[in-house]
Amino acid sequence: MKAKRRVVTSANGERPGLAKRRPTVRRIKPAIAPVSRHVPDAAAPSRAPASSGSRPSLGHACAAPTTSASNSTVDLSVDLGRGLRLENPILVASGTFGYGTEYSDVVEIQRLGAICCKGTTLRPRIGNPTPRVTETPGGMLNSIGLQNPGVDAVIAKYAETWAGWRVPVIVNVAGESVADYVEVVRRLEGVPGIAGIELNISCPNVGAGGIQFAIDAGAAAGVTAAVRRATDLPLLVKLSPNVADVRPIARAIADAGADALTAINTLSGIAVAPSRQRPLLGNTYGGLSGPAIKPVALRIVYEVSQVVDIPVVAIGGVTELADVLDFLAVGAVAVQVGTAIFADPTLPVRLVEELGAECRRRGFASYAPLIGTALPKRASAPSSKGVEYRP
Amino acid sequence: MRLAGAELLESREILPGQWLQTFHAPELVTGARAGQFVHVRTGDFSGMVLRRPFSYNTIDPATGTLSIHFRTVGRGTEWFTRLRPGDRVDMLGPLGRPFEMDSRTQHVLLVAGGLGIAGVRSLADEAIRDGRQVTLLFGGASAREVYPSSLLPDEVEYVVATDDGSVGHHGFVTELIPEYEGWADQAFACGPLPMLKVLASLAHSRRGRLGVANLGRKRGGGRPIPAGSPQARRKAFLQVSMEQNMGCAVGACLGCVVMNTAGTPQRVCREGPVFASDELDWEGGW
Repeated sequence: MKAKRRVVTSANGERPGLAKRRPTVRRIKPAIAPVSRHVPDAAAPSRAPASSGSRPSLGHACAAPTTSASNSTVDLSVDLGRGLRLENPILVASGTFGYGTEYSDVVEIQRLGAICCKGTTLRPRIGNPTPRVTETPGGMLNSIGLQNPGVDAVIAKYAETWAGWRVPVIVNVAGESVADYVEVVRRLEGVPGIAGIELNISCPNVGAGGIQFAIDAGAAAGVTAAVRRATDLPLLVKLSPNVADVRPIARAIADAGADALTAINTLSGIAVAPSRQRPLLGNTYGGLSGPAIKPVALRIVYEVSQVVDIPVVAIGGVTELADVLDFLAVGAVAVQVGTAIFADPTLPVRLVEELGAECRRRGFASYAPLIGTALPKRASAPSSKGVEYRP
Repeated sequence: MRLAGAELLESREILPGQWLQTFHAPELVTGARAGQFVHVRTGDFSGMVLRRPFSYNTIDPATGTLSIHFRTVGRGTEWFTRLRPGDRVDMLGPLGRPFEMDSRTQHVLLVAGGLGIAGVRSLADEAIRDGRQVTLLFGGASAREVYPSSLLPDEVEYVVATDDGSVGHHGFVTELIPEYEGWADQAFACGPLPMLKVLASLAHSRRGRLGVANLGRKRGGGRPIPAGSPQARRKAFLQVSMEQNMGCAVGACLGCVVMNTAGTPQRVCREGPVFASDELDWEGGW
């Protein structure tokens, strides 16, 4: 069969060339605090030889070789919009870090960029039947089913603790109708200790026949806009990878007023029980996470960061600094660590240190130069059409 | 909870497909109690992404060693069998809540189904150290799977049941309970869910059958003790160590829950793995 000619349009009739209007570099940099992006050349002439001595090679294209950041100060801060300023771009992902207190014995949680807490709903939920988790090659499947004590209990139990923390806590919010989301967010509004909202829109919209908000641009935009009207809190919306083309959805969410996007949620999958008589998970379906999904996450961050003006927070299979650098290169301004925490709880804090060290090694005063370096000069074609038939 | 390295001292296959490994890990031994567990990392991220939970099989504070006992059931446990003495692994522990024994308990009944022995083995040491009498009822499929008596303290009375009758009582270990439940002051069990269900129902009906009262008089002016608290568990006749697929093992991921009678999910890693049998909803679909 002959491969079809590639057509750069999306399902809902976007005009081709729309992405051309949105040059890459200009739109990503504002996410980084402009201060100290470059140390002036004259500022540290005497320090340059000393620090270059510790750098074995600076052979690659470094635009400003004299940006010799002093060894202690690399600005890792990032602004995700509406005043949500993080000290560093390493977050811990919703569902993998509880409410921030669980790992506090072994992790210096105050050094994290932010904590996204467990998905929170209006009413308490007991979650799905067990087994709820299982390991898969290079990853894991989970179907917790949004077990949580409900928004009021979360506020009562944790908000005061969070308010005393240096690390911002972003509350992940889920619901089964637009009204659910709005009500949860309304109750979170103005509560000290809550730094932002992350919308989990990979939930069935019971009011609309159980179709997930995340797979329909209109529904996703609808819930985002409704929540936007209900709160002044910084608003992140978490994209689902379980769609043919994520770009129209991402654009619709951005246009509806989201401050940032999180990409990606888990991929839908199943495992089979050892008896081969039934699926393994109590809920049949689970969400795949871990290193196995990193290429998918990279692809979606790559696509999304080319079509939206708001910051993109990447998540999916981060286990080492190289993964963080990969996600930054495809346009993310921050990265969430999830599944890897279960094996290596101290990883996120180590990544903060390693990212700083990497910037110092390369002579950067901030990590801004690492962002978007792998993005194309011109918009790329949709991944879902003819991936294997590139001319 | 601590995160520390552990050095493998000894690894041997004590039964077909069942391994006993001893690690030197002083930080994980300090303060550890029977019923708790360690969460052990499997290599790097090249294949497996989750740690594996193991009960403390033995705890020896004098030498700073602990042992784990497991069956090879998949890639993770096979990875462990390839470790050699001197190899180091990354352990998180001690995790979970331990068995709670009433200070007046003299007669301790331990019930283990198969690999469930790993869950109650260290409690035998603890009870004997505290001068209690211990009977261990062990149920296995056949003689090939019976835990070697040489690995138990001499003071333990060891009673075996096998499904095929190849050694000891011919039948389920739960059939031995009527002989011992009158003697026992408290019982502690670990094993397959069907076994625990039978034990829970036996424990529930025990007072009526035997006409025995709860130990001692009510403390605290008769105020109810909150279910699930260590005090409540200490008073329970039967405590069980539960098993569930686990993710984080610190209570963050909510992967490993069982239901209590109030219909509230209880995390095996945090509220458990030890529960009083009357806390749990045994008919629940978990």
